[in-house]
Amino acid sequence: MDFYFGLIQIIGVHTLLGLSAYCVLLTGQVSLAQAGFFAIGAYVAGMLTVIAQWPLVPALGVSALVAGATACAVGFPALRVKGLMLVVATVAFGEAVRLFFFNFTYQVQAGNIRLGPHGGEGFRQIRYFPENGWTTLDVMLFIWAVVALVMAGLWWLNRSRAGAVLRAVGEDELAAQSTGINITAVKISAMTVGGVIAGIGGGIFAHYTTHIEHVQFGVVLATFAIAYPILGGLSNVFGTLLAVIFIQGFLIEGLRFMGDWRNLLFGGLIVLAMNVRPRGLLDAGAMLALKRLFFSRKERSDA
Amino acid sequence: MDLLDLIDAVQSVADGVLFGATYALLGIGFTLIFGVMHKLNLSYAAASIGAAYASLLILAGIEAPAIFVFLMAAVAGGVIGGLVYLIAFKFIPLANPLATLMSTVGLLLLIDEIIVHSTAGVPLNYPALFSDVIIPMGPFNLRGDLIFVFALGCVCMVVLLLLLYRTKLGLATRAVSQQPIASELCGISITHVNVLTFVLTGVVGGIAGAMTGAAIGMLSPLLSLPLTVKGLIVTVIGGLGSIPGAIIAGLVVGGLENFFQFFRGVSERDLYIMLLLFAFLIFRPGGIFPTTAGRD
Amino acid sequence: MRNLTVAFAALLAGMTLSVSEDAFAQERTVKITGFGAKSGVVRVFGINSEAAMKAGAEEINKTGGVTLGDGTKAKLTVEFLDDRCNAEEGISVVRRIASTDAFVAVGPTCSNVAESLFGILQKKAGDATDSGLQFPIIADVAAKGGLAKISEWSFRNVPSEFEMYKSLFAWVKSQHPNLKTIYGGVEKDFAHSNATFGVMKSQAETNGFQIAGSAEWLLNDTTFSTQVREMKRANADIVAISAHPFTTCGVLKEMERQGVKPKLLIGLTSSSSIETLQGCAKQAEGIIIPTSFAPVTPEAKKAAESVAKFGGSADLHSAAAYEIMFILKDVIQQQKIMAKPDTVQADRVKMRQGLAGLKETMGLLGKVGRTADREAIKPFLYVHAKGGSWQVLHKPSS
Repeated sequence: MDFYFGLIQIIGVHTLLGLSAYCVLLTGQVSLAQAGFFAIGAYVAGMLTVIAQWPLVPALGVSALVAGATACAVGFPALRVKGLMLVVATVAFGEAVRLFFFNFTYQVQAGNIRLGPHGGEGFRQIRYFPENGWTTLDVMLFIWAVVALVMAGLWWLNRSRAGAVLRAVGEDELAAQSTGINITAVKISAMTVGGVIAGIGGGIFAHYTTHIEHVQFGVVLATFAIAYPILGGLSNVFGTLLAVIFIQGFLIEGLRFMGDWRNLLFGGLIVLAMNVRPRGLLDAGAMLALKRLFFSRKERSDA
Repeated sequence: MDLLDLIDAVQSVADGVLFGATYALLGIGFTLIFGVMHKLNLSYAAASIGAAYASLLILAGIEAPAIFVFLMAAVAGGVIGGLVYLIAFKFIPLANPLATLMSTVGLLLLIDEIIVHSTAGVPLNYPALFSDVIIPMGPFNLRGDLIFVFALGCVCMVVLLLLLYRTKLGLATRAVSQQPIASELCGISITHVNVLTFVLTGVVGGIAGAMTGAAIGMLSPLLSLPLTVKGLIVTVIGGLGSIPGAIIAGLVVGGLENFFQFFRGVSERDLYIMLLLFAFLIFRPGGIFPTTAGRD
Repeated sequence: MRNLTVAFAALLAGMTLSVSEDAFAQERTVKITGFGAKSGVVRVFGINSEAAMKAGAEEINKTGGVTLGDGTKAKLTVEFLDDRCNAEEGISVVRRIASTDAFVAVGPTCSNVAESLFGILQKKAGDATDSGLQFPIIADVAAKGGLAKISEWSFRNVPSEFEMYKSLFAWVKSQHPNLKTIYGGVEKDFAHSNATFGVMKSQAETNGFQIAGSAEWLLNDTTFSTQVREMKRANADIVAISAHPFTTCGVLKEMERQGVKPKLLIGLTSSSSIETLQGCAKQAEGIIIPTSFAPVTPEAKKAAESVAKFGGSADLHSAAAYEIMFILKDVIQQQKIMAKPDTVQADRVKMRQGLAGLKETMGLLGKVGRTADREAIKPFLYVHAKGGSWQVLHKPSS
């Protein structure tokens, strides 16, 4: 069972990563900086629990704040540009964050070993979970409590006026602007929320992998962050979740029985999925079909 | 800083500028596709490296001269370019830029993994032209092979510009890139133009892949990701859709890399480049040669 | 809608299938599961390790297999899983293995995966307050120094680069007393190369060499002119490069271009593989590398042939995987491991104790010592590239 619990943990953390990109994508912008915010969250939370001996939850809170503040600060200049320029600008920012941690060393002596991030060699022994006797199940439940909270928050946001505003900006900036929406404020808010979510995700990531190093937070992770919501569809938060299950659960773990073919299928099936469902696995059409399936009786009675 | 240091610094930057010619070639490909389709093809650098690998298959059979291998890389590049269009663009509606972005990411992973599967990820030797030629210029030395790459980049640029501005195909390409619907009404087949653009950029990519392999002396799947990032940077700095811009940006990025390498060391080199790039994009979002046509 | 249901069903089936496949152990075979990178640029390591494990298992089975705790004989089978050199996937793979009735796993390839993996294991065996995984893992490739001390459940059979370079520099000093200065080169963003470079530097200094400077580059760098020019100016007698084949070759080619010809070249252990020769045999001519494997003894020759038969090549990394199969056989017999579904946890504890209790194992080049922090002290020799192949240069007596 532990294997499935572990897999569900991974799915949870990657869902957080995907949702952080989802927020920004809603405004029509592609940001590859999410891996950078994720890295900031990971290092901050890791340092707080290992060096400062904080409990996990406040550490995650601080990592969310720091990553959110960074996202906000980056959002101001970065969101002046859009489209491909923003993609490249955010790649540059994400890489700059990664390279910062590549050069970042802050270690303290603890007994006969030294703890803390050590430049290119990474930051090892972030063992909050096992040291406090958390079982795999406990960790999984904790992660999913966080994921559920975030998803519920975004679901609510989506259905509120704020969600409509986000989508309005995403669909047509000019039209949104002419209805009196402050585009910059909207985009920066989305970026900040995305940063907060990535910060929490990164904080958890550091703790369940126990070791973090700069290479983990490169362009590949940033690409996956946007891959989840795009692959899943932007119509709601469950698309991202479905895409994470598709990639982490099916393409990576589920296809193991294919042996060597698994690696080839990985890229190939992503291409195929985009060809078959260009608006994402769970697009508006699929949602409608689902709704009809579950609420058909009610609709009929209403009518 | 004494004289010797200064000479070394200049030499370093000069080497970087010359090596930047390979970035420039890649930048041209990215920029062409973006210019015509207004879409990003993230698999481009991987496909270019893939074309260079494919050309090595020739060498496995017969002992061919380097120039022949490069030609084969160009041909393979063209074929792969056409395939990329078919697999990642043809069937995805134009209104979904995010979908093609993702499909090309998938293709990038696929191409990488195909290379890894056929070579076990082991670096392979790649032939070079003029690799033993060193041109002395006062206290400086210029690498013959890189000058060849640079010259080839310029030739590519001239040929492409001639193609774009002096031929019917070029006219059609530009028409499609500016007003797709109007050009379709004029009887231009958009699919046709798109396929041709992809084949053409594929040929440029094949040459770029071969030149990169020749300049390093080796091919490895390790190359595809950094080259993708660098190709993007060059495209954006040069100004989207601008071929001369891509060339200048390629050389500038190459030179800056070695500049920071020389003065700040390897750990901080890329950090400064990224910060510089970030600032550049914010303050001059149009790139070196911003496109004047105010399309959408 | 139907499509979606089908997709879900396929997904669930796939996930279940791949675990339960071997849950019912067939009578009297013991499956040893290895894991490592079989995707991406490090794929060759996974291929070699898998081939070596299979070769080792075949060798053991030929001589009757392994005697289990209840006296019955069992054959060894090998399964190898890919972790894509990714920490999360490595953890997933080990949890998957730990959910079967396996009592040990062999791997991983990448040090960054090993770091995370050993971190999720219980730190001190028997510590009830530590909820880490209680599953012994023995690493064959992950080479970064000092990894096994992370957990009492983690073991390694990788050569100690510290001992190797210590001996190498002392030997160089005695053989070439006229060489005075040394220039280093390091792949800065690769933890293993970087850590080993520290070892090289300190050992060179200990042996009285003067460090003339060092050049740094990154794992996927493509141009080395600046670094090599500094190297040229330093004009050192020896150049020591701590990098993997791709950049080692890149630097060597640039050195040739700029006419840098040191009197002696020293390379990183991991570059003593066939990859370096495929990439740049001409430029690598003469490079000296300490390695814990070369087909010099009859056993080593046989192992190399047998690994080749399974589609891999025997080098210092895969030879370790080959040896591990024999170590496991010995521990299974000595600890009377039952290998039955209902004795899994006890078998794992026994396996851990057995591995921890080893003072010495038999390696392909001779006796391998085991240290208290679960690392190996392996015999080694120096090879150099000569005429497109690796040839033994010297075998230290110790």
